[in-house]
Amino acid sequence: MAIDPEQTPRAKNGRAPDVMTPGGWVSMREYPENEEVDFVIVGTGAGGGTLACKLAEAGFSVVAFDAGPYFRPLEDFASDETEQNKLYWTDDRIVDGDHPIKMGSNNSGKAVGGSTVHFAMVSLRFRPEHFKTRTALGYGVDWPIDWQDMWNYYDEAERALHISGPVSYPWGPKRGRYPLRAHPLNAAAEYLARGAEALGIKWTETPLATLSAPIGQSAPCVYRGFCVTGCSTNAKQSVLVAWLPRALKAGAEIRDLAMVGRIETRNRRCTGVHYQREGEWHFQKARNVVVAGYAVETPRLLLNSANEEFPDGLANSSGLVGKNLMVQLNQAAWGQVDDEIRSYKGPPSLAISEHWNYDDDKDFHGGWSYMSQGPLPITWAKSLAGGRNLWGQALIDEMARNNHSVGLKMVGEVLPYERNRVTLADDTDQYGLKIPRITFSLGPNEEAMIDHATDFMDKSLEAVGARERWKEMDDTCHLGGTARMGFDAKTSVVDADCRSWDIPNLWVCDGSVFPTVGGVNPSLTIQAIACRTGDRIKQMSARGEL
Amino acid sequence: MLGLSVLADSGLEHYRGSFRNPAMVFPLLSSSMAIGFNGRRLEKPLSDEKTGPLVSHLTSAATGVVGLGFHLYNVMKRPGGLTFTNLFYAAPAGAPFALALAGALGSTADRLARGKDTLGPIHLTSGRAIGLLTSFGLIGTVAEATLLHFRGAYHDPFMWLPVALPPVTAASLARDVVDDQPRQITTSLLAATAAMGLIGVGFHAYGVARNMGGWKNWRQNLLVGPPTPAPPAFTGLAIAGLGALMLMKKRRKARG
Repeated sequence: MAIDPEQTPRAKNGRAPDVMTPGGWVSMREYPENEEVDFVIVGTGAGGGTLACKLAEAGFSVVAFDAGPYFRPLEDFASDETEQNKLYWTDDRIVDGDHPIKMGSNNSGKAVGGSTVHFAMVSLRFRPEHFKTRTALGYGVDWPIDWQDMWNYYDEAERALHISGPVSYPWGPKRGRYPLRAHPLNAAAEYLARGAEALGIKWTETPLATLSAPIGQSAPCVYRGFCVTGCSTNAKQSVLVAWLPRALKAGAEIRDLAMVGRIETRNRRCTGVHYQREGEWHFQKARNVVVAGYAVETPRLLLNSANEEFPDGLANSSGLVGKNLMVQLNQAAWGQVDDEIRSYKGPPSLAISEHWNYDDDKDFHGGWSYMSQGPLPITWAKSLAGGRNLWGQALIDEMARNNHSVGLKMVGEVLPYERNRVTLADDTDQYGLKIPRITFSLGPNEEAMIDHATDFMDKSLEAVGARERWKEMDDTCHLGGTARMGFDAKTSVVDADCRSWDIPNLWVCDGSVFPTVGGVNPSLTIQAIACRTGDRIKQMSARGEL
Repeated sequence: MLGLSVLADSGLEHYRGSFRNPAMVFPLLSSSMAIGFNGRRLEKPLSDEKTGPLVSHLTSAATGVVGLGFHLYNVMKRPGGLTFTNLFYAAPAGAPFALALAGALGSTADRLARGKDTLGPIHLTSGRAIGLLTSFGLIGTVAEATLLHFRGAYHDPFMWLPVALPPVTAASLARDVVDDQPRQITTSLLAATAAMGLIGVGFHAYGVARNMGGWKNWRQNLLVGPPTPAPPAFTGLAIAGLGALMLMKKRRKARG
């Protein structure tokens, strides 16, 4: 009975896994390949999965593809970091530049539900000025979407994910009450709180996409602490748990283990996608194609789809597909304290300060926030080995003191630079597709922000009595920017509705449309954009503008 | 009834806190003692035993008041001090109050059983003092339920019930006390509140079931789920309120 979900597709024969019950199934509508469906969506993460739900509920026929397996969290997820590497996209890629990006856990996912299956659940809104950095703050580039418009879609996404957050959020314009109350703080979070109070800045409980009260078939969070290797209780409101069951119910089809390799065009319009499933190449006809593969796979697919009509790749008349790749800075400060911390207990980022997203009195551009940390053992060993060059007995001895280690980690804004980009390498992967080359270098602005942030976090730890403090200087998280949205076809790839300027029935809906990445985790913003795009498509369809 | 609710609830919650502060056993001892003495009073209403019950009721009241201090200290010492998160997750500030109430009600019952009309300067036979105390008790218990059900984000509509009904009951009882006129509607409201406290155990048991592993994982979920022994505190108070009404009626009859 036990089939390997990484080898054999599960969503087939009119049914898909019911992630809420062990061994359960839900019925799934299936579309024949020669039927021209309204929307093919490539990727089922924060962008694609959310949009699949929105479009299916709006009455469109939707087939959503994911290259990864359809996991059942209640059965397939182990309390084991190594086993859970199966959630990351670890296919061949070339990374280069002055600061090559470590691809894997912090910035990719290869599973139905995408990287939200293992994200840290931090669900924050951009500050209003983040949408207008050029005109309001003098750097980067403006978004073509107004923050007030986004505020409504943040509301929608927060309700759908039953976000647990503080009763009142200390920064930014008024927002509605979070659907659920905040979780209790663990010791690591209390250290952030006391440090912030000692330094005279505000802190709060982090709004998280994990339940603090039972909702539907999901039990509240049990504080198991393996959030970033996949929640095995379904308290985490990943796309796999929150949006896709709704999408299936509304008639969407999900094809797991289905790698889309090329988008076909004729007469300058998309006609469908070529995809590999169970070792064979297939073609699915579609009226519209949405690419939602995140900031590496999205430009890769657009570039790999180059043909006679579009020799530079699809949607690339601006030449910007793959360019302006951004990460977020993820440096940390650590120390030792007398108290027992056991920071791996509970969600890893229970407390946050967004002070430096709202205080613009800095000698560099951009914002950053910081959160308490709760690394699992292997992650911690890697931090110590990489950050402090500990090895052998010295590493073992330091690992043994982990229960008293406490740390703070930043999420910092990286500016868009055209030199940071995704291109195609000549090598090919297991599907026979050209692999991406990911080129990335930090600039002086990022270096200044890192210095500022690590110094400040170090001061916060010092203020609460942490000793033997050290800084972890080499880490990044999240991606964005390789198919940016904008005001015109010359300076952007898609418009505010995520529709490509060049091909009217080609859309991009994921983090790659971000013109700037802001100083907070991006997942909620991606989902809010997907909600907005879903509504816009519905409106345009009603007006016959598709 | 109130004593039982306190014993079970504080036992469960203080066990959860691993009795980290040795003083955490006191409410268990004093509520057990209260149950013992009050139970015996039920058996032998005319017993002239004085010292034991008196010590018990005084201990209950004192433990309640001191506990209030401990719980407030526990809230305030956390980062942020008086914040919602600390009120939700630190020691519940209002809970020890129930023990103090149990002490006061126990003393009252004692005095009345022995045919005494007063407890210190307070006249008891009219029922009005007990009625007022019960009204306050109900309001305090409602405050606790309101806070903790807000922590649960009122995810189940029935969670509004203990927030909505008892204040009406308390107001009606207070009105009767002020007017010195027991009304039928108050009796009905008190009966409904008493029933609600018992039904609440069922809802809380369902709440426990909705945690990961359900009742199969009872050793964990009894501690993290909604507290099953808490709702009967309403029942205990409502019964005291009914007693107060009876006293008021009796006296009116006597006056003719």
